[in-house]
Amino acid sequence: MSPLTTLWVLPLAGAGACLLAGRLGRGAARLCALAAAASFLAAALLALLPCLAAGGAAVFAEGGRTWAFGISYRLAADGLSLSLIALTAFLTLVCVAASWTLDVSAGYWACFLALASAATGVFLARDLFLFYVFWEATLVPMFFLIGLWGSENRRRAAVKFFLFTFAGSLLMLLALLALVTARHAASGEWTWDLESLKGTPLGPAAPWVFLGLLLGFGVKIPIVPLHSWLADAHTEAPAAGSVMLAGVMLKMGLYGLLRVSFPLMPGLTAAWAPTLAALAAVNAIYGALCAMAQADLKRLIAYSSIAHMGFCLFGAASGTSQGLAGSALQMINHGLTTGALFLLVGFLYQRAHRRGLSDFGELAVRAPWLSFFFGFATLASIGLPGLNGFVGEFLCLAGIARSAPPVFAAAGVLGVTLSAAYALPAYQAVFWAPAGPGSASAFVADLDAREKAILWLLCGLMLWIGLAPAGWVAFLEPSLRGLVR
Amino acid sequence: MSLLPQAALAAGTLGALGLGLLRRPSPALARALALAAPLAALLLLTLASPAARPPLFAADLKGLGWQFAAYLAALPLALRSSGDDVETALFLGTTLGIGLLCAAANLPMLFLGLEFMSLPAYLLVARVGEPGAAGRRLEAAVKYFFSGALAGALFLFGLALYYADAGTLGPAASAPGALGQGGLALMAAAALFKIGAVPLHWWLPDVYEACAPEVAGFLSTAVKAAAVLFLMRVVELSPAPAFAAWLPAAGALTALVGAVLALRQEKLQRLLACSSLAHAGFLVLGVGAWERLGRDPGAAAALLFYLVAYVFMSNGAFAFLGATGARSRADLRGLAARRPREALAMTVLLFALAGVPPTGGFLAKLLVFWQAVRAELAAPVLFGALAALISLGYYLGLMRDLYFEEPVPEPAGRAASPEAAILRTRHGRGDGNPDSVQAAAVLAVGALGAVLLGAAPLFIGGLWP
Repeated sequence: MSPLTTLWVLPLAGAGACLLAGRLGRGAARLCALAAAASFLAAALLALLPCLAAGGAAVFAEGGRTWAFGISYRLAADGLSLSLIALTAFLTLVCVAASWTLDVSAGYWACFLALASAATGVFLARDLFLFYVFWEATLVPMFFLIGLWGSENRRRAAVKFFLFTFAGSLLMLLALLALVTARHAASGEWTWDLESLKGTPLGPAAPWVFLGLLLGFGVKIPIVPLHSWLADAHTEAPAAGSVMLAGVMLKMGLYGLLRVSFPLMPGLTAAWAPTLAALAAVNAIYGALCAMAQADLKRLIAYSSIAHMGFCLFGAASGTSQGLAGSALQMINHGLTTGALFLLVGFLYQRAHRRGLSDFGELAVRAPWLSFFFGFATLASIGLPGLNGFVGEFLCLAGIARSAPPVFAAAGVLGVTLSAAYALPAYQAVFWAPAGPGSASAFVADLDAREKAILWLLCGLMLWIGLAPAGWVAFLEPSLRGLVR
Repeated sequence: MSLLPQAALAAGTLGALGLGLLRRPSPALARALALAAPLAALLLLTLASPAARPPLFAADLKGLGWQFAAYLAALPLALRSSGDDVETALFLGTTLGIGLLCAAANLPMLFLGLEFMSLPAYLLVARVGEPGAAGRRLEAAVKYFFSGALAGALFLFGLALYYADAGTLGPAASAPGALGQGGLALMAAAALFKIGAVPLHWWLPDVYEACAPEVAGFLSTAVKAAAVLFLMRVVELSPAPAFAAWLPAAGALTALVGAVLALRQEKLQRLLACSSLAHAGFLVLGVGAWERLGRDPGAAAALLFYLVAYVFMSNGAFAFLGATGARSRADLRGLAARRPREALAMTVLLFALAGVPPTGGFLAKLLVFWQAVRAELAAPVLFGALAALISLGYYLGLMRDLYFEEPVPEPAGRAASPEAAILRTRHGRGDGNPDSVQAAAVLAVGALGAVLLGAAPLFIGGLWP
């Protein structure tokens, strides 16, 4: 099997193997999931090597066989695709390791692997039909992850999640159909190939097609006001599920903009850039304000995701090489930091069955490692220089400052300030404030060796990106060069 | 040669009627006949060639393709035949009527096919099913009969007007005048009546709810396929598009109304009935697109693909009721824990019905919407998409009942009543008896077909017009 096909088939086969192993027992399924996730990560890193050697340029274009209706099997990978796939593989392994002690059936592990497979397909597909099928396929495992293994309001959150994202996807599909039909009208050829669809004359339908794609991707990112599914889904999902939601699924939205919308309609992208920047500003500030108002730690982190994706959107809207590279880097950063935060809240919840800001206190004394890692990830998340968040946010804001009126950059800076205003008090309340009566801190034991190992890995990566971002930026930049205006 | 499938079905019908003359009618023989006749018809369909056609009949690819879908849709009911000779004769008679309707080329033949299909279907609704619910079925059959008779009368009236204007019983040579237009509209209304398009849909949920689930599956696929072709034949009569404005609108409206009605249903069979209303809406939308595209064969093929996919999805979903005995949404709660395989198959079918990739249901919806986009039907497409979204709501709701809700003990009312239990076993319903095994087989094949059709782009390229 060719390398790129292997990348998405491997986790899917792993999911099937988990279900089969589940007949032997829960332990066997768990081992199977670990093996599948580890080999998936190994495959992703192996695929990364030739791309690294090529300096982030596109490698491994695959396919070209066309089936009925102009659908073709076309995969390709460049620095952006492969970094996101590596992130997906890494987070999958992290999720499996972090859920190791849970007593769950084989389906749990299969859902993670199936989700990883579908997300990998999204990052690889260069045929829009294939892209759409993979895009939708991510919903099914996540629906079951939330609905079966989530917390109290999981049922409602699962259905809401599916309905919201499906609504966006339907609009996206209609936009794609209009695009493909317009291509056929112009050239007499049915094709869903991304490359051939560039420059399709759309006439007066063009803004509608752009809007359809923007809504489809915007629900996933999510762009305020399409965000209302996010807080519920992230809060009710199991901890590892939240990691995949924040770390992988939100990225798909922005990836879609960068890979599909912008290259297909560069003129409209330029025309809509101020609107996108304004939406980004709303995201950054509104997300931060909502996060400030939360009393539930997990919900707070969920809203902080909206703010962080606002920065990514700033970079994407800027159309400058710094901004675009920052946007791509911030996607990875957000996957790592928010992933780490969701895991830590999960560990906390596993111990105390609570996650309110006022349920704890003095945790720094009782669980110093938990406190250390939480502090580390919080600082990375609010953009402390020397850690990854700073690099990403700086590049995004530098990009928007160069290409748009200063008011947008100012709004971004306000967003950064606000992020400190919600994250630090929350950290203080849980870990340093005196424990009140009825505090659950007494039930919280410190992290064990497995949990510490996972977090060392995540925090190590945060530090690496923070201290030596040049290599990462150089690796991501070639994929986005075509989008610079 | 091209009427051989119908001949096989006619022979089967007569044979089933002849079984009644035997001193002891053999259920095994009746079952074999019920299965053999549609299978033979499917087989003989491959021999039919468009070239050799008898007068009054068309053997175009549409007619053949629709017959394929309809005979395929007859198989689940054949498989679940109770072995009663009268039921078998009624079932084969309905299928024969569908075969005639699909092959008919001029208006009197079309009417004959319509009546030939409808009359046994009324009795099928009344007769097949648990003895305990016979009264409700009779009521449904009467309702079905009156609505069908109304549709027949509308059609005849329209036919007369059309004939007076155009002077032909086939396609008109020039654009019909006001009288002919009125005739066409009446005939199209008759077809929409049979399809169950809003606002002519009021009879459909009641009929589908009251009849046996396997009959509901048959009606919603085989009979509906014939009704869709019936509509297309009427549309074909006029040389210029006659229904361009309101056919897509009726389709979108039907889809919306069906989806909204299904959202509030507690009884599963009624929910599936309303959902079939929504699917009928997408089909009518597809017919509208087909007309606007100048009766493009690609658009007709999209409709046929939708129908074939729906044969698997709808029959599978109705068979789920037979396989598990679930009647209301409350019965579904936690069913996945007790019946994991049936729940899994149903989940696949629900995703397919909702149009989530990579299932055949997704491809079917995609193809029909695609044609509508090609025909520049922006508003109906958007309303259709809204209907698809609403319908996802109740399909997800069913999955939520199946998987996410806590299991509840077997509903006390049904299990506690010994009479009901006896009735169930005597008539071959309930757990572990032959009928629930057959229903489970239909369910499994439906789910498998719904998935495999999702991979259709890989192999359908050569067949597509």
